[in-house]
Amino acid sequence: MAEVDVRKPLPAITPEAKPFWDAAAQNKLIMQRCQDCRAWIWTPRPLCNECGSERVEWIPMSGKGAVYSFTVIRQVVGRAASKAFEPDIPYVVAWVDLDEGPRMITNIVGCPVEDVKLGMKVSVVFEQASKDIWLPKFKPEAG
Amino acid sequence: MSLRNQAAIVGIGETPTDRLGSKPGEPRKSSAEYISWAMRLALEDAGLSLTDFQGQGLGVTIPTAYPQPFWPEEVAEILGITPGFLQGGATGGAGAVSLLGGMAAAINSGLIDIALVCGAAAPFSEHWGGGIQPGDMRDWEIPYGTMGPNSKIAMVMRRYMHEYGATLDHFGKIAVAGRYHASLNPLAYLRKPITVEDYKNSRLVADPVRLLDCVMPANGGRAYILASPERAKTLRKKPIYLKGFGERSNPSYGPRAGSDALVMGVKDAGKVAMDMTGIRHSDIDFLQLYDDYIIVVYLQIEDLGFCDKGDVSFYDRTDFTFKGPLPIQTGGGMINCGQPSTAGGMLHIIEAVRQLREEGGERQVPNATTGLVSGLGVLPYGKNLGCCAVAILGNEL
Repeated sequence: MAEVDVRKPLPAITPEAKPFWDAAAQNKLIMQRCQDCRAWIWTPRPLCNECGSERVEWIPMSGKGAVYSFTVIRQVVGRAASKAFEPDIPYVVAWVDLDEGPRMITNIVGCPVEDVKLGMKVSVVFEQASKDIWLPKFKPEAG
Repeated sequence: MSLRNQAAIVGIGETPTDRLGSKPGEPRKSSAEYISWAMRLALEDAGLSLTDFQGQGLGVTIPTAYPQPFWPEEVAEILGITPGFLQGGATGGAGAVSLLGGMAAAINSGLIDIALVCGAAAPFSEHWGGGIQPGDMRDWEIPYGTMGPNSKIAMVMRRYMHEYGATLDHFGKIAVAGRYHASLNPLAYLRKPITVEDYKNSRLVADPVRLLDCVMPANGGRAYILASPERAKTLRKKPIYLKGFGERSNPSYGPRAGSDALVMGVKDAGKVAMDMTGIRHSDIDFLQLYDDYIIVVYLQIEDLGFCDKGDVSFYDRTDFTFKGPLPIQTGGGMINCGQPSTAGGMLHIIEAVRQLREEGGERQVPNATTGLVSGLGVLPYGKNLGCCAVAILGNEL
């Protein structure tokens, strides 16, 4: 069968998110925090969605967290672009709660899907997806 | 301002659902055909004609595969109406219930006297293209290979099972009750009764979500007509009054960047609706809960306050059929009747009206006077469902 050129969809580098992707390209995980109410803000946005302040700053994160929940993708469905993920099956889509509080949708990599458990400690790794985009993913913490 | 007894549903229309167009060469109908069909059924039911809606209210649910940005206006043209108050239901699957509140408020204000609310979709016979729209889903979800709502609901379900010890038997009981009711509903699409074992053995779609956890897309149309109480009294059918309404969009329980994904916005929307109605939980005769997934039905029963959070024993001991103390999904719900995109949620309003008119046939809840309906829509990043609307309907003033 002829091979279909299907590439994985990439995030758009929006003005709000550019600092995030710039840091990710240097394998650093950063997030916004409100300088007034100290709330974490995720996903990136122009103002604090807890108190409305526009005084938000980018803060380096520990890159450590725990699996809040996850699912194992065993079948691609829906939009055509989903097909691009077929070679990765089975893979884990997870909600990871960072130690600082924010919850990310991500992949758990670096271990068999059967080994992923709720509450499992994980730390960030970066996978290059394009020239400018390094996606933060998570692997089990050693030990 | 309270909407209690300020408007009544006077007509309902539900087309059969189908999956025409899933095979090549099948005859097909368009969204326009389903929406006019549903409207015609609602007009016949109410004994009204299109001319009654000139200068009045028209509400149209906005489908997720959006035909075009001005769809509600185009529907007015398809139907041949010049509304005086045109509203698009913008809360996804909650749209049908949201519009009930919005149109009741417009009636209560005196702006209009009567409103037609309708929705349709034909996902199998019409293809709108699947471009990825800007937003969190494009930038923060899809790049990780998420597969639509199944992936996120699977994470909610797994976390729930982990925290509270719910098992497939608990979820299966809800699936079985819904299908049993569907077997008694001539308009349901899936009508063959199932057992808890059938549920547990159904194919894993997104672990732990199984095939029998999920709603099924379908082609179809649905409509209802709302009128002022004075107008309602002059019409053909027994008026079914709006007793209470509440809505919460973008709910968050805990910090917005990491909220409790196991609590749903019906917790607050339901409280507002209950307080407006001025009744207790024991006064409610049945629930028609938005059901894109079984776990979502389960969570709503808790968050609406019918049992404590995580009290799985409630699900062991409660009969959810129309014969029991807390009937749910008395027509089989959307899971068994099909989901024509955001028109899907209108099903629950229609079934509540049937029950309150004593038109429930073999599945009639005995002596039902009050029922609760919910609508849910949108799955935002990192959270449970993002638009939640609750309406309480009753057949007595």
